[in-house]
Amino acid sequence: MLSDALLEQLTTTPLFAVALTLTAYLIGMAIFRRLKQPTWLPAVLIAALLLAVFLLISGLHYTTYQQGAAWLSVLLGPATVALGMPLYQQFPRIRELWRPLVVCLPVSASLAVVYAVGIAWLMGLPDTVLASLAAKSVTAPIAIGITQQLGGSIPLLMGGLLITGVVAIAVVSLAAKWMKISDERLIGFALGLNGHAIGTVRAFEISPTAGAFASLGMSLTGIFTALLLPLAWHFIG
Amino acid sequence: MTALGGFLWLVSFWLIGEVIVYLTAIPVSSGVLGMLLLSITLALRGGVPDTLAAAAQPLIALLAMLIMPGVVGVFFVAGELGGQWVAIIVSLMLGTLLSVLTTLWLMRHLMRGQNVK
Repeated sequence: MLSDALLEQLTTTPLFAVALTLTAYLIGMAIFRRLKQPTWLPAVLIAALLLAVFLLISGLHYTTYQQGAAWLSVLLGPATVALGMPLYQQFPRIRELWRPLVVCLPVSASLAVVYAVGIAWLMGLPDTVLASLAAKSVTAPIAIGITQQLGGSIPLLMGGLLITGVVAIAVVSLAAKWMKISDERLIGFALGLNGHAIGTVRAFEISPTAGAFASLGMSLTGIFTALLLPLAWHFIG
Repeated sequence: MTALGGFLWLVSFWLIGEVIVYLTAIPVSSGVLGMLLLSITLALRGGVPDTLAAAAQPLIALLAMLIMPGVVGVFFVAGELGGQWVAIIVSLMLGTLLSVLTTLWLMRHLMRGQNVK
């Protein structure tokens, strides 16, 4: 839709990509609120869909957009570090629950891998696909490292992360209702453990306590999986 | 301008994470290492400085926007999967459903007697 010359002019600085990202995010948030915050359609997915449609229509290449948007995504590092603050503020409540957390984490984080890879294997998917799906519940920067070690495909992993995050949010909210669980600590932990950053964002929408337990679940799952999955893969594979 | 000092805290902890990853070659990201180091530092120090809170709060609120550019890329790889995408989506959805149910059930079971609401 936009002429090549205009696109080239606009993308000489990262500001066009930054403006696109902010616009898509703000519109995505507005639609999300208008739809009464559906758990099956998080704001980040609405915004990403809007942006993908714009890229398709305008003819702007994803890689060109991504290079500009890197000026924003670089903040993901300090933003992840920032999660250390709510984590610290919830230390007393985490300490109360240290025993269940310590038992649940290795079991749940292992099963998150085993269930998905097991089902994929039963359905006859090839080894490279299995390797790409194994780290699906781990936060992106760690999951990329794991997937490289296992010999999986990074784009496929990114798709797996998105689906896992969105499904985790929806299932946590449905299952919590069904199992009559309203404890924010438990819901937050399940969101972070299974739904990585997407689940953690959702947990902060619920409450700071849920958010802190999600940060804890996300970081511990990341560390546990990064340390043990490549080793386990080596022995089984 | 108070947020600026706090932002420097966050960036510094991320950089410390990078140095640790470089020195030890552990397969964990610098962001997650920085998060854990920050929470430990705050515990030792006993309290959150105002400057840090001023920077951390808005950044956490923007987390969804910061992961968005990566999510957009997902829509441009679907073509590479051939006919496997149904099996892939089924394993991801079913796997996640099972692991969420396991986590909730197991945590509730383990938290028995800890006044779960």
